[in-house]
Formats: sequence, C-alpha cells, structure tokens
Amino acid sequence: MDEEYDAVVLGTGLKECILSGMLSVSGKKVLHIDRNKYYGGESASITPLQDLFERFKAPPPDETIYCKGRDWNVDLIPKFLMANGSLVKLLIKTGVTRYLEFKSVEGSYVYKSGKIYKVPVDQKEALASDLMGMFEKRRFRNFLVFVQDFDENDPRTWKDIDPKRTTIQELYDKFGLDKNTQDFTGHALALYRDDDYLNTLATETIERIKLYSDSLARYGKSPYLYPLYGLGELPQGFARLSAIYGGTYMLDKPVDEIVLEGNKVMGVRSGSEVVRCKQVYCDPSYVTDRVKKTGQVIRCICLLDHPIPNIKDALSCQIIIPQKQVNRKSDIYVSQVSYTHQVAAKGWFIAMVSTTVETCDPENEIKPGIDLLGRIKQKFVTVSDYYEPINDGTESQIFISSSYDATTHFGTTCDDVLDIFLRGTGEHFDFSKVKLEGGDEEP
Amino acid sequence: MASVKIPEQKVILCGEYGVGKSSLFRRFAFNLFIPSSSKQSTLGLDHFNKEYKVGDRAIKLQLWDTGGMERVASITSSYYKFAEAAILVFSLDNAASFHVLSQHLLDIVTYAENAKIFLCGNKQDLEGSVPQVSTTDMESFCEQCHSLISATYKTSCKTGEGIEDMFLDVAHHLIESNQSRFQLQNFKRGSIKIHKFNEETNAESCSC
Repeated sequence: MDEEYDAVVLGTGLKECILSGMLSVSGKKVLHIDRNKYYGGESASITPLQDLFERFKAPPPDETIYCKGRDWNVDLIPKFLMANGSLVKLLIKTGVTRYLEFKSVEGSYVYKSGKIYKVPVDQKEALASDLMGMFEKRRFRNFLVFVQDFDENDPRTWKDIDPKRTTIQELYDKFGLDKNTQDFTGHALALYRDDDYLNTLATETIERIKLYSDSLARYGKSPYLYPLYGLGELPQGFARLSAIYGGTYMLDKPVDEIVLEGNKVMGVRSGSEVVRCKQVYCDPSYVTDRVKKTGQVIRCICLLDHPIPNIKDALSCQIIIPQKQVNRKSDIYVSQVSYTHQVAAKGWFIAMVSTTVETCDPENEIKPGIDLLGRIKQKFVTVSDYYEPINDGTESQIFISSSYDATTHFGTTCDDVLDIFLRGTGEHFDFSKVKLEGGDEEP
Repeated sequence: MASVKIPEQKVILCGEYGVGKSSLFRRFAFNLFIPSSSKQSTLGLDHFNKEYKVGDRAIKLQLWDTGGMERVASITSSYYKFAEAAILVFSLDNAASFHVLSQHLLDIVTYAENAKIFLCGNKQDLEGSVPQVSTTDMESFCEQCHSLISATYKTSCKTGEGIEDMFLDVAHHLIESNQSRFQLQNFKRGSIKIHKFNEETNAESCSC
C-alpha cells in the first residue's frame, strides 16, 4: 500500500464501483477498498441464504424447505433498471453490459382502492383499462397522445402550453384529468415519489412519461429490466471495468481514518498503514462526521413460495401504491423477483416492500404493501437512515455519495454518480475512453 | 447477422497472480507473447471469442481473463457466473502456485458449479531438468480432487508450445459433454443481452 494514488475509493456499493470504473478509465490511479469481504456494500446481493438469515439474526434456514443456500442471491436494496434509462446507457457506453444478462420484468401495476391494476401506457391500453371510467379514459388517451407528440423544440406540438411556464398541474387541468388519473400518471408513469412535483414544469413530467413508454417499447411487457443473479452483479461489473483499467482492489480491509493535511485529504489509514492519495470517494458509512441524516427508508424483504396474488402468476413485477391511495406523503413500492432470475431456489419468490419513513411506526406504514403479498414464509425488515454529504467535497477533496433512496429504479443513483464525477474531476465523463482489448463486440 | 448461431462457451482462467494467465489470454487472442520485462500488469484484457471446429461441429470459446483482481484475492463472484469451463493455471517453475490451487478449485465449484475444470502447468520453458512440479504431482492432485479435473496440459506462452492443443482439447471436451445441456439451458434461460441501441449506431449491428 505504500504507493500514492490519484484516488482511493471506499466501499464497493454500486455508486462507488461506477465511480471507480470511470476514474480508472479516465487514466487515474485508483485503489478501491471495502471493509467487507464481499463486493457491493449496501447494494450487495446476499448469498448463501444462511448469510441473509444470520444478518437479520434469524435462526438458520431449513434446507429441506429453502433448498440450497447458494441458489439464493437476495438484494438488500430492491430496484429495477429502466430499459431506456441512464444506468442502462451507462452500462452500454462503458461496455459493462457484457458482464450481465437481464430479464424483462413481466408486469407493472398500480394500486387503487385496495385493488391492483396494470399500468396503462399507450392509447390502446388506456381505453381498455378498468382503472378509469369511460369518459376519463378518453381524456387520459388525449393526454397520452399529447405527451407522445410533444417536442420541446417544435412549437407546433405545444398546443397552447408554454414549456417554460406551464406546470404539470395546469396541464392535467387542461386535459380535465381527475385526481385518480393524476395520481397514477405522476406516480406510476412519471415515478414521482410524492406530490411536490405538481408545481414543477410540465415538461419534466412529460420527459419522465416518455422515458417510461420508450423503455416499455424496448423489451415489451414492462419498462423494467432485472439482472440474473441479482443487483449485486452491477457493482461487480463496474469493479471489473475498473480493474481492467488498472484499478487495484482490496476487500476485507478495515478503514480507520481519513487523514487530512489542513482541510484537504492526504491519505487513508488502515491500522498502522497510511496510503497517500489526492482524493477520496466514498459512501456515507466511511465518513459519519461529514454527512447528515435527512430521512429514513424502510425496506421489507419477504420470501414467498408463490407469486404475489392477482398478477397473473408473473415471475416478476412492480406494484406502486400512490401516496394518496393510503393517505401518505410518499409512495409505497412493491417489487417481486424469483427463481427465474437465479436469485431464489426453484419455486421461490422474493418480494420487497419499501417506502420513505413518515411516522414512528414504519412497519405499520408498509402494511398496505405487505397485505398484497399473500402468505409470507419469512420476513426481514430494515429501517435505514438516509444520509447526504454536508458539502460538495471540493475543499476537502472527499466526495461522498448519498444513501440509496426508496425509488424503484436507478435514475437518482446515476444522477448522483455523474454529479460526483463532475465535482471530483471538473469534467464530464468521456465515454470514448472506454476501449477494452480483447472484447469482440466492437470491431 | 449470422444465420446459424454458434454457441459461445465461457471459459475462465484461474490461478495465482503471475502464473501467466494473461499471457495465455494473449496467445489465445492475438498469438502474441510479451516478455515480463516490458509488461506492467493486466490492463485492458477482458474476454475474447474464438471459433473451434471439432469434426463437423463448431464451438466458440469465449476466454476470460481475471483483470488482475486475483492480486489481492478479490475476484468478483460474477467472474465465475455462466462459466462452462475453468482452466486452473499454475507455473511449472513455482511450486507455491501449484499448492494453492485447491483454494481456486473451491472457488470454482462454489461459484461455477457446472463448469468443467482443466489443469494447466504453464512456463514449461522454465521447467528445467529438476521440475518444481512434476507430472506425478499433477496426477496426484487430480486424484485428490475426485476426478473433478477433466484433463491436464503443459504449455509455454513464450514458445507457444501446447497452447492451441490445449484450447482445441477444451473445445473438444465441451462439445462432447455439453452439447445437449447448453442447448437446453439457452432455451430455458431466455434472457436478454443489452447492446447498443439502434438509434445510436446503425453502422455495425453485427456482434458476432
């Protein structure tokens, strides 16, 4: 460890691994350390199943029921990839997609008055859906047609809205959409977590709805993708990218101190060794005195021996419970993956219910989601604090990622990573620098 | 697009740092040898596809290099996923690199339980008259592993000796035993590889 590095990255969560990959590709000398003996930190997929039970201090799983422990790879933080979203673009541009295989998530549902409905996205589905009444369907259809045709650079598609001024609430009102329709449009299509967006520009919501429908158009049944063997494969893919570009990896290495010289970082201490570096990139758990808690997220992992009821036996799905439906401020998310993704033993399903905590009884908050699941074999609940860095890191050269939020896809994850990279290097990542020797994809 | 898809079989290289895995990779991919004096470390080596014909059957070996992650024992479990074959590499002039193979073997059977395993003694050119690792040692290792090892080879990346023979033989083994199994698997898996989007590149859509 007695070399000097341009950057030491602490923690092998997805954000840190993407950053490590981008830094190595950009020619920086990178040392990447994790205190755990496995990759992924908070975004790991836990295997074998025994480790998951142990983590939650449950008695070891019975192999006659749960089969082989190695057949399981259980995500700690459930998320899906938008097929046309920023993480997929990042995977493609960096070539990391070659390390992964995906399956399309089979269905996307929204909750209304105690029942779940398929999320309608195109005109045909809108007219067929029993989510809305007859007249509302037509209004929603007109809204979708407008959204699809809308082009910020072509005033003819604007009808009479002002892209620089009209809010989404005004746009909803213009099309006469009722509160229910607004609810699932904003939450199940545009994937807003709460209703703060109603006063933002309509164009932002339009972009989000387009991302949803473009993603859906790519692989079919839903806009979401999920990697075989679980989300923990994602950080590992980026770690390999980093290693191939010269990044050095050390797992199972304690980190005791970030050493400063004045206000600026000069190294990282592990035991009696200090490795010198110009910059540190890390997750909040390595710098507890440089982050502030801004909220809490509750996540509940449920092992099921059957698919969630009322989703037509789909092997994977997402269900969004818009906040208003259950008198909350933020949405509840339910996701299900299964043995078909190599994350569970044959015949098993993993459901996750998560939301942003609003009360002092978080477990009660996710009840509407839990109630949708049917019989639950085993349940693991975590309430984790959500941390953000207290400053942008340019003075100390310590760049800290935010915790993973309750959202079900990686939009905010990528935004954070790209922003940290920009703050740390002063430039946007240059994808043309990715040139892997040996790969035959790019002739 | 190719009319008939030739199955790709992921083959991974395992073994200690410095035994010549990347050299095997370079021989396989480019038939090149870079002497250690002018080589820094594994950089930019990922994976490479090469087609082999055994009789009238064709197979594509997709060889993967570790990316140098074994230096501090931090290979990702992803590396092993989907592997159909693993080549355990050690250096014939370094007994320690041979004795540590049981650990690598354990990783392979843990993370790539279906992979066929092969044993390769590299740097044959440095073997000398009193070998550090003898053929008997290799044989008894195979016996201890309860015939987990499908075949053993000796190679030299410096001279190129034994290398093409080894990969051809690996291809042979995979064709013989896996044919029916991987067809079934591909059929069952039905997963997606995501590639460049059409609107971003319309020039080269062919990937194989």
